[in-house]
Amino acid sequence: MGDYVWFHDVSWHASYAVYFFVIGIVAGLSFISYGSWRTPALRPLREKSAYASFVLLALGGLLLIADLSQPLRFLNILNPFYLKLSSPLAWGALNIVAFTIASVFYILALRNGDEKKGGLLALITALLALGLPVYTGFDLSVHQSRPVWNTPIMPVLFVALAVASGSAVGALLAAGNAEAQKVLREYMLWSAGAVAVMLVSIMGTTNYGGAAEELTFALMTTGTMGLLFVGVGFLAGSVAPAVLLFAPIGRTQGVVLVSALLILAGSAALRYVLLMAPQQVQTLF
Amino acid sequence: MSEGPGVSGGGKRRYAMVVDTRRCIGCMACQVACKAEYDTPLGVNRTWVPYKVVGKYPNVKKQFLPRLCNHCEDPPCVRNCPVEATFVVEDGGFVLQRYERCIGCRSCMAACPYNARFMLPSHRTYTPITNVVDKCTFCFHRVTQNLVPACVQTCIGRSRVFGDLNDPNSEVSYLVAKNATQVLRPEQGTKPHVFYIGADRNATEFGRDAYHKPEVMELERSAFKRNFKI
Repeated sequence: MGDYVWFHDVSWHASYAVYFFVIGIVAGLSFISYGSWRTPALRPLREKSAYASFVLLALGGLLLIADLSQPLRFLNILNPFYLKLSSPLAWGALNIVAFTIASVFYILALRNGDEKKGGLLALITALLALGLPVYTGFDLSVHQSRPVWNTPIMPVLFVALAVASGSAVGALLAAGNAEAQKVLREYMLWSAGAVAVMLVSIMGTTNYGGAAEELTFALMTTGTMGLLFVGVGFLAGSVAPAVLLFAPIGRTQGVVLVSALLILAGSAALRYVLLMAPQQVQTLF
Repeated sequence: MSEGPGVSGGGKRRYAMVVDTRRCIGCMACQVACKAEYDTPLGVNRTWVPYKVVGKYPNVKKQFLPRLCNHCEDPPCVRNCPVEATFVVEDGGFVLQRYERCIGCRSCMAACPYNARFMLPSHRTYTPITNVVDKCTFCFHRVTQNLVPACVQTCIGRSRVFGDLNDPNSEVSYLVAKNATQVLRPEQGTKPHVFYIGADRNATEFGRDAYHKPEVMELERSAFKRNFKI
């Protein structure tokens, strides 16, 4: 007769990983739109990235609301009488609302051709956009009982992923524009490299942790999760683009576009595994 | 046990449960009593009794570890809820849930180191509370009526004992003072208020064989998800 373990469902399902992926691109595109005010080479991407960011924000917002088991109560989170500021989710909700408002004003300024207000609003939008990956990373890192999640590096990793995936989408939007792609190549190269280094650091810490960490490491490096994390996320989505972009051929447009696609596939896979794998061990406790 | 909260004046109460695992016979009556008390749906539990078979044949035994919400002193679920749907009752220390406020973000479920929280399914036969997070309440409605929780009431081996830890004359105070007790995952710093006597660390920690999931459980898990559309 075997042991009897009561199974538990994971708390957050894969739709949350899709939200992480989308909101990362939103933030990355906002950085590019702001960058266009500082770097002339990115100027052709200013409007494109602002509009794409806003459309994806709407999509991500709807996804987040639909993921609640009581979607119509999403307004509760904005009710000042209910709001609890010790929760990263509460800060995230405030951040998203502020970012949405800033994005609307920024797009209006862009449409009206108001250069003065546009520059200021681009800065505000980019600063609020920085809060999106930071809060999503925080959202995971505050759970002290979860291996991998509970690391202070998580918000930083999410910022690097946002820069990488946003730049990748920017590179695809700027296909044919060699000047913009030259700048975006730099962004992708250094952010993909940073992601790879942080993943090595997280996995090293996890492998040398306690029983739960050890099991989570085993889960993240073997089977389907292993294929997604090590294969797609780490090797194909971080190391390969960093090597390709660093190599002498990395300045050609084809390589930049291939690297962008690899980064997008990798960052989607990483979000999925980083969200789902650390929840698995807990389901059996 | 002492009087329930709000019944008389005086200092704050701190309710706690002592589970003497040496007395647990694994009859699961506590689980059934809890299900009956709250109409808890299939597939989820406010309290459950997992076991491990320990020893070597022919000297083997089942090591039971009754589980429930630990009504922590520093509950991560309360800290993480963005809308204060979950809260601590100051007098008594109960960690409770406001169903009408819960948005179903499952943040509390992710935060709980004990898996004590679960999502109610979207369809229930007799109870209209659906699609929100639920948990053990230490039978708040019974305790305020000077009754013990349903699981304690029904425990045939008197394995579960409930009472006010701040009352020096209560049975839980006596048991905690006179016995070596353990709490689950003390390293999490949650200060749980379910104390175990005789709990084996092999049962309270993650085992390295945690991945050998019995196939039948996986079938059950997927059937449950399909049925309740979660």
